Amino acid sequence: MTKNQRLVYIALLASQAVVIGLVERAIPSPFFFAPGAKLGLANIITVMALYTLPTKDTIKVVVIRLLLQTLLGGTLSTFFYSASGAALSFIGMWFIKLLPQKAVSLIGVSATGAVLHNVGQLLIASVIAQTFSVMLYLPVLSLIGILTGIAIGITANYLLTHIERLHYYMDLRTLKRDLI
Amino acid sequence: MQAFLRIIKPGDLLLIVVLLIISFLPFGIFYLQSQSDGDRIAVISLDGENIETVNLSAHPNHDIFNVETASGETNTIAVSDGTLRISSATCPDQVCVRTGFIEHAGETIVCLPHRLVIEIKAESEDPPQDIDIISSFIHFH
Repeated sequence: MTKNQRLVYIALLASQAVVIGLVERAIPSPFFFAPGAKLGLANIITVMALYTLPTKDTIKVVVIRLLLQTLLGGTLSTFFYSASGAALSFIGMWFIKLLPQKAVSLIGVSATGAVLHNVGQLLIASVIAQTFSVMLYLPVLSLIGILTGIAIGITANYLLTHIERLHYYMDLRTLKRDLI
Repeated sequence: MQAFLRIIKPGDLLLIVVLLIISFLPFGIFYLQSQSDGDRIAVISLDGENIETVNLSAHPNHDIFNVETASGETNTIAVSDGTLRISSATCPDQVCVRTGFIEHAGETIVCLPHRLVIEIKAESEDPPQDIDIISSFIHFH
């Protein structure tokens, strides 16, 4: 990947994540019984970035997405929620991805990301509300999170194997890692 | 389904089980903590400050009152037969209203836009040492 290609690729991923996030916010949440739960479609992009880009560039994608999403209709408090969720879920996915690919697939990575996203958000919520009991909501959110995480993992896997360019980038990345 | 079976690896299943255990961890902590059976006190706090307490165990009948924030927003709190809920609120997301009734120790209603928290605490004769654990946990993060 040349420098320009990578630059454009990062920008494309970030903007796609923002658009997916906005579209997701426009459709009503299918989880009416659990306020606050959402599909987390934007996580497709994070997972794809994680598998096709170096860690440094993946962080760039996540940060750009966060900032743009906040500017396009977020507030300071939603920024804190999504920032802590995104940070925790990124760290978790990064660690899970260190495991051998034979053992853990995209499904495990994205399910971890979904659950840790909820953990991060609820941690901030419990700090703001100054009561740890907000965490009692975690089982509801993470049950839904695990299910959507599995679906997101399948989707991302489908994209990575069927879109030729992504497939190529992924091979490039694994090749480079094996050489080092 | 076939595609799903082809993608999923044994490590994924293990990971999902671990995630499930992690997500039920707060439940376990609060279950251990709510073993005491004393009076159930609903503590209503606004912006971290304790503004009102309602003893749900001793509450005989129905009661409705308003809580007003500094900026003039209101949450209407309804107490009936030992349960409590926010019956209406001026917040944009209405999450607090949709939470519904709470009655057991450890349950909460949170209205984040108004920074309002209602938490039911169990009052027992034992020294409430578990509260220290939780507050230290919060300060830790």
